Amino acid sequence: MKKVIKFSTLFIPAVILSAVLIGSGVVGFAFKGINYGIDFQAGFIEKVRVAPTAFTLRYEGAMSVTVSQSSTGLTLVQTSVSSDNRSWSFPYASYQTVGDFAAAIAQVPGVTAEVSGPASVALKSVFPDSEVLSRLSATPYRFHYVPQDAPVISSDEIRGVLASAYPAASVQVIGKPQDRLFQIRLADDGSDKNASLSLRNGLSEVFNSKYGEENVAVISTDFVGSLFSKSLASQAIWLVLVTLVLIWAYCALRFRWDFAVGGVLAIMHDALIMVAFIVWTRMQFNSTTIAAILTILGYSINDTVVIFDRIRENMRFHPDMSITDILDLSQTEILSRTIITTLCTMLAVLSLFIFTTGDMKEFALALLVGMTSGVYSTIYIASAFISFVGRFRKDGGKMVEKVNRLNP
Amino acid sequence: MSKRSRLVLVLVVLAVCFAFLWPSVKWYYITPKEDQALALGSREKIKDYARNMAVSDIRALMEAARTDDQTPVDARYAVLVQEARKNYKAMKKDIPAVWTARNLLGAFASESDALSVVETSWREHILSIKATQGKAVKLGLDLSGGMSIIIKADLDAAAESQKGSITDPATFKKEAMAQAMDTLKSRIDKFGLSEPVVRQQGDDRIYIEIPGAADSDRINSIIMGKGMLAFHMVDSDATSAFQQYYSEHPTSTFDAEYNLLDPSIIPAGTKVLGLYKKDSYGLDERTGFLVVKTEVGLEGRHIKSAQTSRDNISGLPLVNFNLDTEGAKIFAELTANNVKKSMAIVSDNKVKSYATINEAIPNGQVQISGFSSDEAENIKAVLRTAWLSVPLQLENQQVIGASMGEDAIRQGIWAILGGLAAVFVFMLLYYKASGINACVAQVLNFYIMFSVLSALNLTLSLSSIAGMILTIGMAVDANVIIFERMKDELRLKKGRAAAIEAGFDHAFWAIMDSNITTFIAAVFLTQLGTGSIKGFAYSLAIGVISSVFSALFVSKLMFDFDTDVLKKKTLSISWRIK
Repeated sequence: MKKVIKFSTLFIPAVILSAVLIGSGVVGFAFKGINYGIDFQAGFIEKVRVAPTAFTLRYEGAMSVTVSQSSTGLTLVQTSVSSDNRSWSFPYASYQTVGDFAAAIAQVPGVTAEVSGPASVALKSVFPDSEVLSRLSATPYRFHYVPQDAPVISSDEIRGVLASAYPAASVQVIGKPQDRLFQIRLADDGSDKNASLSLRNGLSEVFNSKYGEENVAVISTDFVGSLFSKSLASQAIWLVLVTLVLIWAYCALRFRWDFAVGGVLAIMHDALIMVAFIVWTRMQFNSTTIAAILTILGYSINDTVVIFDRIRENMRFHPDMSITDILDLSQTEILSRTIITTLCTMLAVLSLFIFTTGDMKEFALALLVGMTSGVYSTIYIASAFISFVGRFRKDGGKMVEKVNRLNP
Repeated sequence: MSKRSRLVLVLVVLAVCFAFLWPSVKWYYITPKEDQALALGSREKIKDYARNMAVSDIRALMEAARTDDQTPVDARYAVLVQEARKNYKAMKKDIPAVWTARNLLGAFASESDALSVVETSWREHILSIKATQGKAVKLGLDLSGGMSIIIKADLDAAAESQKGSITDPATFKKEAMAQAMDTLKSRIDKFGLSEPVVRQQGDDRIYIEIPGAADSDRINSIIMGKGMLAFHMVDSDATSAFQQYYSEHPTSTFDAEYNLLDPSIIPAGTKVLGLYKKDSYGLDERTGFLVVKTEVGLEGRHIKSAQTSRDNISGLPLVNFNLDTEGAKIFAELTANNVKKSMAIVSDNKVKSYATINEAIPNGQVQISGFSSDEAENIKAVLRTAWLSVPLQLENQQVIGASMGEDAIRQGIWAILGGLAAVFVFMLLYYKASGINACVAQVLNFYIMFSVLSALNLTLSLSSIAGMILTIGMAVDANVIIFERMKDELRLKKGRAAAIEAGFDHAFWAIMDSNITTFIAAVFLTQLGTGSIKGFAYSLAIGVISSVFSALFVSKLMFDFDTDVLKKKTLSISWRIK
């Protein structure tokens, strides 16, 4: 038999530590507020690159020709209302530069390419504007590129450009500075019914007049109106509460009411620790963050329930032990499982954190915090509550009959 | 459950999963790009395509019949041959030994009979590709790039504007919402974009999704623009001339957006518009083209109300509408000048109906007839748009560039591979040979998850990939609980088989309890409105189920296989326990 670790001696300090951490979150929230993302604070976000045109494509004819870009190459697909349906692919491996591609485009009937930048630009590095129809027409369809020796544009310069029209705009450089990719966020106060359109057009006007239409590529945009964000917030709170109640009900049914309360307390603790983390790191609070919190509610209860299961079993095997000793014994027995499982999941989430960017990265980070807190709360918070309640129970916290009935 | 039935169950599940996954494999890896593009095109395009293909097929056949070509017909006429065989049987004639063009056509009463058989087969060919796509896993906008829009229809404002004339507010709102949906659907259809989704969300919201790159300025103006209803005079001579031209040049009359390539084929001051009827699914179906005067005969805003009724004598359905004073004056003049000519009702550049003016209408009380009662209701609904406007407000609009989608796919794949690799290495190091079982269970878990996603027609997005990665952890958990239990049993000096049995038995409820609670949380997440959270939650919920299955059944089966077939006596599960 392994040596039993006396987790119970640390119950009181652990509860104090948790209270301090959560309290600091509340204080932070009261004084600094929370950095609401676009889901909760109406507005408009645009990712835009300042990049000159590499080449343009035009099409004249009766058919429909669309262009698409993938990680392996460019593809042109021609469809018609008769049997003239074909596709041409231009893999980067065989068409390395824009010049190669433009020379080869002649094989597609009706399509012409005009190279605006140097012909030596790598075809792989070009990208289109996201707000233009990819079906080619007489209007030139642009592919942009960022020259390698292009001067870096700072976020302050962009802020300066926007200063007259949108003084409150927030500007952020995304990725490496030489990529010249910016994220611009404008607020929407809900007074303009056509905010989506006017903000979008207003922003592109400012950019086009400063850098020229052919040197600006919009990568993505996201508009959230004020009505939408309100409905999301109330929905989120409601969902968290119902989830907690259901988890409590299930645990109460399978175990006992005080176990269920201990479990729910533990996961609420995790959720609050995450919120404290978000408040102090000024991380964006958006629907992805809510997803992370709800996930931790589901994930952390997992750990807790496995412990409960072992506690129940040990109560049956050792009817003479005190509740605190049973808690210690069960925790010790299950400790390696708790750590290995969490470690494995954290490895997977760490991979998510390393390989993704933006919202998903923050989501992964929030999960990592939640999981760490989950292990800790399983060991200390849930058990502390059960041991606390056990002191006041006539049976000293045991539940032998119930065990026999449920697990014959 | 016996080992044999467990094996059968696992095999059945794997086979069913493969059947679910097959459409995705077929669509993404086997279907050529141009077929994909055709299948994703608008219904109008598919119809025109089938028609033109059939016409050229039948023409080739007629040509062969004329020259009395004795060689058997091409394999692409197989459907026609099948139909011809039936017809020969029905006519009690001998079925020819060789299907030449002549005796093939001889089986059909007329050219158009043969044409419709070929046209149907072409259309079904494309529709079957479309059906495959419908069953395949779809990429979310964050992976494929594209635009999503949520629009709120202000039904209260619409009701306010019609105050007094509403008898039942609930019905009114329903109708107003249906009108808004209809208008948006029809406008977006006109764009001819690949596979747009328009659906109602809740009572008063409309969700629109347009995959691939789309012109946001134009889409916004089209969606949010005011509806245009008007009466235009039809140019009958130009219409018949145009129809003649179109039948001769079916593939080179229009460009991709149904604009004329050669505007000189119709007289100046006119335009070609499609004539649309609602089909049995309530969708607009183009039945022909009309050439109408560009000049507006009467603007729709003059219409005050519209009702349907039946003719007192013949009982035929009628549509009646009233004009305001100014409208009545314009209409009186228009009808007086154009007796015996046709007038078209045009809404959003689609001809919804047209009728011949029998006599001058001086009083603004208009009655049109000559259609079924369903059509009469449809025309009434079209006329309603003239005075009932439902204010639309754009609540949410997201545009994601295809290049960002590419990035997201790459990130997702790397994150999955990285996560799997890290967990595999850990499991193999920590649990030695038993870790192999956990790894196999993990791979099957992914396979099952993808196929269920495919079967439930869910969308694969970066957030659902995140859900899958989290599931890696969950699936490992079930294995860890079992393995740790086995170690405990081994410490008690139990043998391999006994330790395995005890491990799985004792772990069962711990695994069920912990996964059911996670499942509860996941199911609730699926109810949270926005798409990205939904995707995450669905893959988490599916992953919880498939990970329990793969841990309890697949992993167990592998242990038993090693014991019974490979005759293993010891259990390699830890560095400390021999």
